[in-house]
Amino acid sequence: MIVTHELRKTFPGQRKLFRPAGPATHAVDGLSLSIPPGAVTGLLGLNGAGKTTTIKVLATLLRPTSGSVTVDGLDVVGHARAIRRRINLIAGGERMVYARLTGRENLWYFGQLYDVPRAVLAKRIDELLELVGLTDAAGTVVERYSRGMRQRLSIARGLINAPAYLLLDEPTLGLDAPIARDLRAVVANLARDGVGVLLTSHYLAEVEQLCGHVYVVDRGRLVAEGSPTALTAGTRLPHTVELTLAEHAPAVSAAVAALGAEFEVGVDAEERPTFVLRSPEDLTGELATAVVRAGGAIVRLEVNPPTLEDAILAMAGAPAAVAAR
Amino acid sequence: MRAALRVFAAEGLKQHRRIFGSKLVVFSMLLWPVLTLATTYYTVLPVTSAPGAAQRWPLVAEPGRLLAFLAAGALAYTFFFSLVQSAWHFSWERVSGTLEAMFLTPASRMALVLANGSSALVQNAWLFGCFGLAAAVATGTLHLAHPGMLGIAALALLVPAVAWGAFLNSLLMFSRDSAFLYTLLDDPLWFIAGVRLPLFALPVWIKAIGLAFPLTTSLVVLRGALLDGKDTADLAGQLAFLAGLSAVLLGLTALLLRVGERHAQRTGSLQLF
Repeated sequence: MIVTHELRKTFPGQRKLFRPAGPATHAVDGLSLSIPPGAVTGLLGLNGAGKTTTIKVLATLLRPTSGSVTVDGLDVVGHARAIRRRINLIAGGERMVYARLTGRENLWYFGQLYDVPRAVLAKRIDELLELVGLTDAAGTVVERYSRGMRQRLSIARGLINAPAYLLLDEPTLGLDAPIARDLRAVVANLARDGVGVLLTSHYLAEVEQLCGHVYVVDRGRLVAEGSPTALTAGTRLPHTVELTLAEHAPAVSAAVAALGAEFEVGVDAEERPTFVLRSPEDLTGELATAVVRAGGAIVRLEVNPPTLEDAILAMAGAPAAVAAR
Repeated sequence: MRAALRVFAAEGLKQHRRIFGSKLVVFSMLLWPVLTLATTYYTVLPVTSAPGAAQRWPLVAEPGRLLAFLAAGALAYTFFFSLVQSAWHFSWERVSGTLEAMFLTPASRMALVLANGSSALVQNAWLFGCFGLAAAVATGTLHLAHPGMLGIAALALLVPAVAWGAFLNSLLMFSRDSAFLYTLLDDPLWFIAGVRLPLFALPVWIKAIGLAFPLTTSLVVLRGALLDGKDTADLAGQLAFLAGLSAVLLGLTALLLRVGERHAQRTGSLQLF
């Protein structure tokens, strides 16, 4: 298990000749989280929330300013080399591979640096190339790859040491939808096989699909944690129900008002009456029943429950108001 | 040790593909020795024809030996400057994002920089080395005390050069701006190390600075072993000095790598590009 306790990371202000140093940046501010093996854990927040800094501390690329980080009981500062054998990082943006080497050579290069046993390495390279759909392009230099192919190679690079923990920082950035879907399947399978995965992504549907537990950070601080469902429910954001009637029915407005929820009345492009009802609870059933009993003929009914994205935005806007724990 | 050797193999392939693998580069390497030697020779020629030059530097009276003296200088310079280039290429790893990927791995940082330098040296200097040796044999200027001195000369060139390259690479842990390497170590290195002119022709203070660069002493050993028929006893002082200087450079490299990585982990500079 990866465990951080009161993790803080402060970047010193940049020093300039004959000028005082700029202000320090507190990128992570007292973050405590756990990433268990065999599960996908999400780390969410808006840009500048401290997600990438946290991931780089876990990957030993950055050193904590204070607090502790352990990987299977090993401290990231004192046992960095042992930890590097057990983790890997995949970042979006197709960097971290060599453009003038072929896909296979890139994987061989990093396999050598990880000291993957020779007998295992050749087989693993073939398996990874197949996994990311690059078998046919294995002998092509990476500079001839498309952006998506480079990103897929980066993913294979991140798996070359068969890590016990995988840190994914926007891994599907720039990927086509089918490839991103395949990657999600790969991540889910890795977790099933016992790998602990930490995922940051701007595609929140991806997080909802993969993560059993999500941490939400804002300006380096933890503002909420829980399952995606619990987080969404915890924000008390309204469910929105949009309803269109075939024609005006005088009793319907009173029936909708009787539900006690906030609502708006309007007309659509075809001059048919519309109702938009917002409520912390899902009142779809009650609304439909009330409208029909009041003599209304429903031609369209659309239900929009709050999404994880709505919840994250709400938390980023008013973190103190959110308590989804 | 096995893990370090695998790092060397990996860096060898990478450097070959990234820097030296193209036909144009191989073609330029064929021309490079000839151009370098010609440039050196015609730069020095006016000095050798100055009145009284032969009294101060007897070699100028023997064009064949003078050419061999300059060829040895150009050869050694090529070895050391290829390490400067290697460090420059290493700085590009940060720009391309691959430096982070390298530092994510458990590979020994010392092995990485030594492998980086050694690979550049092998790729860059083998042709010049072959050319220089062939030319020396063909012109009859090769004068060895015994065949073993060929190995001593090679070691006196390779070991300090690799230590020098590793040291330069370690400097780049602190800065992504590698232009200073060329500014400080291109033309000045030609001059202060006695590549074109004998050391006795240089002012004392320049000779003192030159001693800090392993190229200076490597060149003394190379010329002594290959051209002047000196043996290990004759060159013992210089060889001991080179061994000490290489050890100091490697020690400094280890220290700078450790401090530099900590600095990068503290400031996040590894990800700047």
